[in-house]
Amino acid sequence: MDLLLDIFGFASVLLSGLVRTAQCLTLGGIAFLAFIAVPLGHGASDSVRLAPRTIQLTRVFVWALLVSVSILLAMHVTILAGTAEITIADALGGDFARAQMVRIVGAVLMLALLYGKSPSVPLLLALGLVDLGAGVAISHAAARVEDRGLLIGITALHHIGAAIWIGGLPCLLSAMRRLPAGEMRSRVGSRYSTLSMISVAAIAFSGIGMLVHYVGSFPALYGTAYGMMLATKTILFFGLLALGYGNFRVVRALAGNPAGSNLRLRRFAEVELGVGITIFFVAASMTSLPPAIDLPRDRVTLTEIAERLVPKWPALSSPSRESLAFYEEQKLLAEEKAEHKPATLQAYVPGSGAPLPRNAHDIAWSEYNHHWAGMIVLIMSILVFLEKTGKAPWARHWPLLLVVLAAFLFMRSEAEAWPIGTLTLAESLRDPEFIQHKAFMILITSFAVFEWSVRNQVMRSGWAKYVFPLLCALGGMMLLTHSHSIANVKELLLIEMTHMPLAVFAIWSGWTRWLELRLDGRAQVIAGWLWPTFFCLTAVTLLLYREI
Amino acid sequence: MRKYLRNLAAAAVVLMITGALPAWAHAVILSANPTADQQVAPGELAIRIEFNARIDKERSRLQVTAPTGEKANVSIEPAGEPNVIAGTTAVLTPGAYMLRWQVLAIDGHITRGDIPFTVGN
Repeated sequence: MDLLLDIFGFASVLLSGLVRTAQCLTLGGIAFLAFIAVPLGHGASDSVRLAPRTIQLTRVFVWALLVSVSILLAMHVTILAGTAEITIADALGGDFARAQMVRIVGAVLMLALLYGKSPSVPLLLALGLVDLGAGVAISHAAARVEDRGLLIGITALHHIGAAIWIGGLPCLLSAMRRLPAGEMRSRVGSRYSTLSMISVAAIAFSGIGMLVHYVGSFPALYGTAYGMMLATKTILFFGLLALGYGNFRVVRALAGNPAGSNLRLRRFAEVELGVGITIFFVAASMTSLPPAIDLPRDRVTLTEIAERLVPKWPALSSPSRESLAFYEEQKLLAEEKAEHKPATLQAYVPGSGAPLPRNAHDIAWSEYNHHWAGMIVLIMSILVFLEKTGKAPWARHWPLLLVVLAAFLFMRSEAEAWPIGTLTLAESLRDPEFIQHKAFMILITSFAVFEWSVRNQVMRSGWAKYVFPLLCALGGMMLLTHSHSIANVKELLLIEMTHMPLAVFAIWSGWTRWLELRLDGRAQVIAGWLWPTFFCLTAVTLLLYREI
Repeated sequence: MRKYLRNLAAAAVVLMITGALPAWAHAVILSANPTADQQVAPGELAIRIEFNARIDKERSRLQVTAPTGEKANVSIEPAGEPNVIAGTTAVLTPGAYMLRWQVLAIDGHITRGDIPFTVGN
């Protein structure tokens, strides 16, 4: 059951991210219906009526909400009943379970309305508010001891803002794609733009309130995991604002010239949606962390951060495998065995829960891995730039370097394990991290071949070219929700500090590549130069990576 | 080939999602009695743990493991501050004890931990 609880901890973060996303899309769809599709559709011809399509989309989002909340509730109740040794009925009586049941009933009623002939918009709005209220009732704010009422209000405002802005994007995208150029399309853009600006103001205002109550000081912002995640979330938010400003300009241009192109608006909105969903997952992972203000001890200091950021020449020579802590301890055990002849022991048993021993050579080993990975990514970035000049067509084979990277990491990621360590493959497979790392490397290889096939026109499917940027962005998102299991909290934070920029660069690298594929004209050229720049920044971050 | 690549894309998504391994903790202890590695006198022990979040006391647990390995559940007092769990138990045998706590915060997060302490004169 302990192992189940650990797995639940992680799965609940992912499910919470899905629930937050589904909730925002649902509420965004209802808001779009209530404030844009229905009011602007009065008296309009069938060809420009938005309500039917908005209802169709909202149905999908409500289904997603219903399914994700149900799975989260089922998992929660099972784990709670198992670990606290109570009945399922008792587990269902808690505040969290009751709030989720309210959401399930609310979602069922929403679906009943949405599948009806002409759904009542006020009723849908009321049910949307019930879901919002139930969500806030089981948020960080509701669990706080002090300023509970104020924090509940602030959280509700934050969620409403995110729902109207990011949650309304799929309906906006659908409208912008389907509506013919003209007055109606321009009015939809203007109305959504106004709602978004109000939402951004609500998010910023409530965000500042949360910053004051959950972080409270500058040292808590850079010195805790919660603070660092919040800072990363804020950086992503500013990226969204930049895209939103770009869209605002397109909307204004469309108001003056309703027949103009809305391609840029649609493409920027796609990226806004992708980055917005990333932020929902970051927010979900933050809800599982104690607020920074509650952790006054063991914070990382500015001096420690500055020491870690001092550039150091990359370590391109590796310590010997035998100097690593695992092998040192193994040697000691062997000597003891020779003297006393006890039963055979192992310095580290994969999957036992005990951490792997670590010494200075282990840190050098890890830094060497990061630095060579950085070198390979740097060469890859240079090749991408060369390919873009059009003078070096051979540089299009750069994805093959990913195969080299995967092979390098495959060999060196676990020095004690198969294939280079003394642990057999069967023993190594008991460690879940081993399986995940090796599986990742096999997939990196596969996707290198995939991207290479696209670039060399072996693959010509329309969807194929989007796999690489989407996985790049998804990988960045997962890196943001990833936490390194190291006993020393400060070490954990300092390593997190270097992984967060890697995640942000991966996210923007993926989405700028997406824009290059989806845009045209000058914006496409700019996006085309931006994504390898983010690749390059990833390489530099890896080259400067330090664990001591 | 196309089918293989499509399956590969789906597999990558699943692996990326299941590949991250966080160690999450939500409710953190602000103060506790006994504290970790504290020595207490034999007799009645008043347990009190204060958290940073409101706790669902009915669905939280306290358990004391004696040096003999015997485990005893401690009843949590329903009244009191919303972020504190408290209870009383008898610790009579000298030696190393373990207090295991598991709490359900109001926001649905289940957290657990151990507080080792010793009983001696």
